[in-house]
Amino acid sequence: MGRHKSRSSGEKNMLVAERIIKSYGSVKAVKGVSFNIKRGEVFGLLGPNGAGKTTTIKMFTALTKPDSGRCIINGHDVASAPEMIKPLIGVVPQVNNLDKDLTAYENLHIYSLLHKVSGFKNKIPEALKKVELYDRRNHLVSGFSGGMQRRLLLARALLPEPEVLFLDEPSIGLDPQIRRGMWDTIRKTRYQGRTVIITTHYIEEAEALCDRVGVMRKGELIALGTPAELKASVGEYVVEYTGAEGRLMQEIKCTKDEAYSEAKKHNGIGVSIRRSNLEDVFIKLTGERIE
Amino acid sequence: MIQYGWYAVFIRQMLLFRRKILKMGYVFSAMMMPVVYLIAFGFGLGGSVKIHGTDYLSFLVPGLAAMSSMNNSYNWVASSLNLNRLYFKNFQTFVQAPISPSSILAGEVLAGMVKGLFASMFIIIVGVCFAANFHISFPFIVALLLNTFLFASLGVITGMITKTHEDTSTYSNFLIMPMAFFSGTFFPVDQIPVLLKWFIYLLPLTHTNILIRKASFDQGALVSLLILIIYAFIFFICGSRLIKNYSE
Repeated sequence: MGRHKSRSSGEKNMLVAERIIKSYGSVKAVKGVSFNIKRGEVFGLLGPNGAGKTTTIKMFTALTKPDSGRCIINGHDVASAPEMIKPLIGVVPQVNNLDKDLTAYENLHIYSLLHKVSGFKNKIPEALKKVELYDRRNHLVSGFSGGMQRRLLLARALLPEPEVLFLDEPSIGLDPQIRRGMWDTIRKTRYQGRTVIITTHYIEEAEALCDRVGVMRKGELIALGTPAELKASVGEYVVEYTGAEGRLMQEIKCTKDEAYSEAKKHNGIGVSIRRSNLEDVFIKLTGERIE
Repeated sequence: MIQYGWYAVFIRQMLLFRRKILKMGYVFSAMMMPVVYLIAFGFGLGGSVKIHGTDYLSFLVPGLAAMSSMNNSYNWVASSLNLNRLYFKNFQTFVQAPISPSSILAGEVLAGMVKGLFASMFIIIVGVCFAANFHISFPFIVALLLNTFLFASLGVITGMITKTHEDTSTYSNFLIMPMAFFSGTFFPVDQIPVLLKWFIYLLPLTHTNILIRKASFDQGALVSLLILIIYAFIFFICGSRLIKNYSE
């Protein structure tokens, strides 16, 4: 994936999380998470359900106030100056929060009015064509499939041309083919210089879309880096073999030679060597699988 | 500061309202209760009852207009806000949009007013056609507008503080329904025991019922008008604060 040109010059951080903490009753959802995201960067938060990804996004998008710490977008603290950040952000939430009793066009019309989108009469048909929903523009959203609703949400979030786009589990519940179509649409948006924050529990999604990935578990950020850096930190090659009682075992090795010699130890039956992925990083760090 | 954003919130509600009206079920549910009261009390009981020397139907119609405008402006706002916040989650799109909390409130309240006025329209038509001494006075119009405004604002408050959808009907049963019966809808408040009277005069619907039956703005009408304005102001400010401090 090629690097794109940022809309704004300089390497200034567009988003900063400063030791953000959020609890719901006795449940500590986010436990002091910090990270910086540069302008134009596509940043992923990867982790299993309940890791605190959505809560983090909610704090950045003015839906939830942190108990302590600060969420900063373009130099403004979200909690104390939400009016400064709202014109900058677009959100595709995890829950499909479209108005199901309105048509696709009406949904985008209302959103355009809320965000004061100029020339929306021309922009809405264009937006609908981009996500291949133009022919269904006058249909009620209640009749749309899950994939169509996710596409409409993406079109809606992009209408005001936000500088920062939040995608909370953008392809959740979509079948693999439609998921790839969604990824193509997301890739197109990053070439327009946007800063994009994606939460996902799909390994392939994080690897396919993100420049950098923060790995979250139980409210904490346990690793941060480019997918290549994260994989290199645990080893690039994975040797898989059948262990005692038929269990699938794996060893992560740094070099190809180490991987071959490890494979030989297991007599070559049911043994394979593959490149490591972010799931392996997560397993190495936590001893658990993401999904 | 209320800005242009109220229009988006209002238009959304009107588009949804238009679809509901076309489904007809909404129209029946909104108008059913006042129509039952109108037939049972107005046409049934009304023939043999006179209040302050006037026929009962002419007394009842303004009360029912106030009651049904209260019920509908309150219930539809409280219920839709509660569902949009807790279940459909589309309230998030308002919170994340670059519009002020007062704009969100104003849009919801205006939409609630339209629903309340729509529901009371049928009663008013019946009054104009069948009640001998019923007239649409200037205080009548002011009372109806203020009534829908303050109860739609109260609906926003309920919609913002309820934690489950069931809570909405709890508030309605304990707050709205007793008010419908004791605030002078069906009989004059002066017939209520003295001990209860001070409480009845605290209720906003009592003052709507006083104002709505006045032919002109006499002293009593002005007192009730002032009380309704104070209630409307307090509810609007509280609703606005709740939206401003919204956090999931």
